[in-house]
Amino acid sequence: MQVEDGVDERPLVREAQEGSGAAMARLYSLHWRGAYRAAYLVVHDAAAAEDIAQDGFLAAVGALDRFDRRRPFRPWLHRIVVNRALDWARREALRRRVDGAESVFEPLPPPEEIGGELMTALKELPAEQRAVVVLRHLLEYTPGEIARMLELPRGTVNSRLRRGLDRLREAAEAEVSVEERR
Amino acid sequence: MRDEALRQALRGAPVPVPPGAEQRGRRVVEAAYAEREAPDRGGTEGRRPLPRLALSLGIATLLAALLLSPAGAAVRDWVGDVVESPAPKPEPELARIPGGGRLLVQSAAGPWVVRPDGSRRLLGDYEEATWSPRGLFVAAAEGRTLSAVEPDGTPHWSLTAAARVRSPRWAPAGERIAYRSGEELRIVAGDGTGDRLLAASTAPVAPAWSPGGDAGLAYVSGDGRLRIVNSETGEALGTASALPNLSRLEWGANGTAILEASPRALRLRPLARWKVAPGLVLGKPRRLPLPGGISLTGAALAPERQAVAAVVTHWREHGTNSEVLVFPPGAEKPRSLLTVPGSLGEVAWSPDGRRLLVAWPGANQWLFLPVGRGRPRAVANISTAFSPGERAASFPRIEGWCCVR
Repeated sequence: MQVEDGVDERPLVREAQEGSGAAMARLYSLHWRGAYRAAYLVVHDAAAAEDIAQDGFLAAVGALDRFDRRRPFRPWLHRIVVNRALDWARREALRRRVDGAESVFEPLPPPEEIGGELMTALKELPAEQRAVVVLRHLLEYTPGEIARMLELPRGTVNSRLRRGLDRLREAAEAEVSVEERR
Repeated sequence: MRDEALRQALRGAPVPVPPGAEQRGRRVVEAAYAEREAPDRGGTEGRRPLPRLALSLGIATLLAALLLSPAGAAVRDWVGDVVESPAPKPEPELARIPGGGRLLVQSAAGPWVVRPDGSRRLLGDYEEATWSPRGLFVAAAEGRTLSAVEPDGTPHWSLTAAARVRSPRWAPAGERIAYRSGEELRIVAGDGTGDRLLAASTAPVAPAWSPGGDAGLAYVSGDGRLRIVNSETGEALGTASALPNLSRLEWGANGTAILEASPRALRLRPLARWKVAPGLVLGKPRRLPLPGGISLTGAALAPERQAVAAVVTHWREHGTNSEVLVFPPGAEKPRSLLTVPGSLGEVAWSPDGRRLLVAWPGANQWLFLPVGRGRPRAVANISTAFSPGERAASFPRIEGWCCVR
């Protein structure tokens, strides 16, 4: 069980379970940025993503004693974070639909940097498609793992991935053609 | 776009990080970690009992961290509420159901029956479930199949519908089950016989039986009308416009009122019977006042009186908090039972109407709240209790609280 910088997490999880605050802090440092990024790419709201990442860690702390340390920590945390991000995105969509009001959250700044078109296209995907794209292509889970995480049939994961990628591809091609015209 | 290109694009995409976000979260998480109780491993190994002072400091740190946390300004706005109505300290597991009765809980693995002593049993691989009136059976749906199973999981009967089965509801007298199949509303006898169509077009809302043991059934038709019919004869007993975007319908309060809930509104419609002819008089609905800018995440009508419990979420710029409200019979304003950070989930009344069970997924807890006198209780570790052996437990949904005896 290793994360990207080669740190073996198992001793950290064991030590955190046994009461080491330093181990817990290390797990937090290793995973906060990934958790935040995943949440942000699903909800596209910085304040909400911050809440969701924090909430995911709090849930992890609450369940730490029962966590099977033979299992990897990272997918466990990501499952919590992405499911909460999805819940948030659905509630927000419902809230907007119901009262027709603008969000109380600040809108995203217009995309200006490289990748802006892609981010805009990602934001415009339905939350369910965003979640599977983020899990597959940012966090690199297999469709089978995503199906288990989100409690979806594997076929549904594949179809959401396909539809999401088709839309992103169109956005990326549009961006390339704009760049080429400059 | 190739996978690798997309991966690179997602990794390199600009993601704004609020200044200090990681540190704020770290303080909250470290405080929560310091405050957690060490697990009991049956010995001294690995056990690190926290001194009282350290525990107090942990709680103080957690409170301070929360005030500086992403909930930030919002926390400061409602910290008074939190202090006035704090969540109780959670017990590590459900050792008994306060007030008795049995719970039906839907997890990712399927529905569970929780007995009064807190022990639980998984009924099988079903997507939705509902109690029979005395808790002798559970009606459970999976795909196009509707089944009746005993509370120990023993299958009793099954039928296969033409389309996916949703929202089974067992009539209080026990002899009928209403369920949605595709857009249809159908009725089947409690022994699984006599399956038949009652209405061809319904909204995606669970029907509600008259609690009086008669054949009355309320549902929302595809054209957005609240309709009450005699489920035996199909005769229309009453109709009115349903609350827009209706998400929940309950017929309770000894049959004297119907509760309609949407994600933004709540209203109670009184009912009366004609003295000289069959049919019901649907009274003018009374909108129950809710705070502005909220989402309604749960609502329930008490079984024997016109009291309504509601769970609302206040969305703020930097975080959320949730509140449990109770509207006593006839009251103009609700009473706040509890305010907590984050989002609460669904709410259910106890069979005797004296307690509420509220889901708190963010804290992985259930809250048992007395409506009158009594001590609130919280139970922790709910998701793991209903996801044994799972890599990542998901929080279960409360389907019903049944039958004290």
